[in-house]
Amino acid sequence: MPRKTFIVVLLLALALAVPAMAAEEIKIGVLYPLTGGAAAEGKELRDGAELAVEIANNVKADVDMAMAKNGGIKSLGGAKIKLVIQDHQGNPQLGADLAKKLIQDDKVVGLLGAYHSAVTKTVASVAERYGVPMINDSSTSPALTKEGLKWFWRTTPHDTTFTNDLFVFLEGLTQGKVKGVKAVDKKELLPAVSACEKTEWGSNVDAAIKELGKASGFDPQVSLLYAAKAPDLSSEVQSLLAPKPGTMLFAGYGADAILMIKTLKSMKAKPKVIWGQDAGFESPEFVSTLGDDVEGIITRTVFSPRVGEVKKVSKQVNDMYKAKTGRDLSGASARSFTGTQAWVYVLEKAGSTKPEAIQKAANEIKIDPSELIVPWKGIKFATTGSDIGQNELGTGLIGQYQKGKDGKMTLEIVYPFDLATAGMIYPIKGW
Amino acid sequence: MPDAIGGHGPPYRFHRSRRATMEDSLTQIAKAVVSGLMMGMVFGLVALGLTIIWGVMDIVNFAHGEFLMIGMYCGFLTATGLHVDPLFGLPVAAVVGFLLGLACYYGLVRFLLRGPMVAQLFGTFGLMLFLRNVALMVMGANPRGLHQGILVGKSFIVGPGIIIELTKLAAGGLSLAAFAATWWLMNRTKMGKALTATALDAQAARYMGVPTEKMNALAWGLGGGTVGVAGALLVNFWPVDPNVGLLFTMIAFTTVALGGFGSIPGAAVAGLIVGLMINVAPIWDALSTCLGIECLRGGQLHEFKYSFVYLAFFLITVFKPRGLFGWKY
Repeated sequence: MPRKTFIVVLLLALALAVPAMAAEEIKIGVLYPLTGGAAAEGKELRDGAELAVEIANNVKADVDMAMAKNGGIKSLGGAKIKLVIQDHQGNPQLGADLAKKLIQDDKVVGLLGAYHSAVTKTVASVAERYGVPMINDSSTSPALTKEGLKWFWRTTPHDTTFTNDLFVFLEGLTQGKVKGVKAVDKKELLPAVSACEKTEWGSNVDAAIKELGKASGFDPQVSLLYAAKAPDLSSEVQSLLAPKPGTMLFAGYGADAILMIKTLKSMKAKPKVIWGQDAGFESPEFVSTLGDDVEGIITRTVFSPRVGEVKKVSKQVNDMYKAKTGRDLSGASARSFTGTQAWVYVLEKAGSTKPEAIQKAANEIKIDPSELIVPWKGIKFATTGSDIGQNELGTGLIGQYQKGKDGKMTLEIVYPFDLATAGMIYPIKGW
Repeated sequence: MPDAIGGHGPPYRFHRSRRATMEDSLTQIAKAVVSGLMMGMVFGLVALGLTIIWGVMDIVNFAHGEFLMIGMYCGFLTATGLHVDPLFGLPVAAVVGFLLGLACYYGLVRFLLRGPMVAQLFGTFGLMLFLRNVALMVMGANPRGLHQGILVGKSFIVGPGIIIELTKLAAGGLSLAAFAATWWLMNRTKMGKALTATALDAQAARYMGVPTEKMNALAWGLGGGTVGVAGALLVNFWPVDPNVGLLFTMIAFTTVALGGFGSIPGAAVAGLIVGLMINVAPIWDALSTCLGIECLRGGQLHEFKYSFVYLAFFLITVFKPRGLFGWKY
């Protein structure tokens, strides 16, 4: 009957039209800590990811990046990317629940996040169970890529790389390799002490510091773990200062990193070098709260606005970010930008939103260093070995807070030695 | 000499005489003890309100930590909102805490008293959840700390390098004053006698013409006021967020159990003991270095710093439920 046929045709057309419409928007579930102790970092991360999506979805002639020329994912008919952002509050259980919700209710194509390594761990296991691809932009616990996950890729270098950089840097300091500092007597830098927060991330940093420091004799004499959420650190700082340390090494998230420096100051600590493992030591809040007290503190990072002086594309993106948020890109926002960018390139290569196609593309992709705002050698994920899913081409920086002539605190690069943008302040002036 | 900084030597890699190490260790211990005592006075003040309420009414106030959290926000908001020193937040927090205590009594606890014991437990537990979530709604989850003020971040050195942080010294001193005032109120005034009478035997007190209803309300007011002051003192050096109360509720329960439920001097002494317990790790670090003990050295105990407190709570409730100074249980 013509009428029945008509209805059947109509239904068929509708059935076909729904996936076609869905392809115009590719949803990616994003998990960041937008409230809680690391809220400031969470907002940085979100802003970085949103800027990457803005550049991918619209043609931006003034950005020298392949994704800025396409106005969407070309291989998917110009489909736009939409981020579905959720706040996990730094809570691993909540992170896992939100990941399930994103997968089941929001039907996201893949996941991005989650900053806290402990949260990334639970989210990654949800992704693995559901067979949904996840790109991790900003968690640095080495253990995350040791489990042989099939649906997990990490763009940022991890703490083994970063911690190794630290000891190469400290050795360099004793050998006169650091710009602006004559060779330092090693005794001045010893003993080293360390304090790390005690979740997945901090305890892995603690292990890495102990392990990698041995060769150079910088392994800490006092190394302690503390709860980032119970923030009175005076008893911890007392133990740290007991052996009169020359080098103090820290891994802390947001509020606890600030509290650590405040406590050091009130306890009149006089180390020669203070090093932070990124995260809390790199957040804009760290600088804005502590002001001049941060001068001389060094932190590992993956980005400094100074990178823009040697990389044009970094400056272009940093200018856009600054226009949007009023701040320079930080290690957090530069990495979430890069992680989101990796998602765009993977989708472009896959030409499909099917998990298997994305998995294949992620395993095969190679992104050229000229595309990136971070000073890495590119992005290529390991598919064999003991670090499956890890970007093999990432590298770290070590920066030092220095007050410029304009009175603004900038992170000057002091490592790698050949990229140094300023002479290092040594020893740290103290309080 | 072998390479002293080669990384394989004993923990103290520098050649110091044993005597110097010992002096160092003693200084470290003194430092840890002083800092523990200063914190302990504040812990005592936090617990004071809990013990007053328990002493007078036999009610365990689970929302006590939330009262503290509100006191902390009072101090914080007074300082940042009016751009004055955080110390001006003290009277504000005291008044707000007192009124909050009264409001809780007249609005909730009065009705709970008619029900069974379980209703009282659940009632104050519900109050805890309510206050915490209201704070979450109003203030957000982010921790806020004070970074400016006459005392914030200042410290001075006494003797051979014992560092006294001004914020903690002030907190300790003011909490001593608050203790003295409360003790005077309870033992030297008619009102205090009426409170004690209510605590001892409410029915008999009522027959003697003591307005026990008012006394109950007063106990809640005093409880709220003292913990409010403790909060405003704490916020000078302890960041506040809506969940901060939980830790302090646990500490306050331990303090009250240790000192004896209902005892004011007990709360003070027990507070000091709890303060020392939290500093076990640095004391042990110094002691083990001094005595050359290798076990658990180098800051490993710090992870467990609150575990000692909880362990003490467990042991006391099992072995000495009256506590050190308890007269009522």
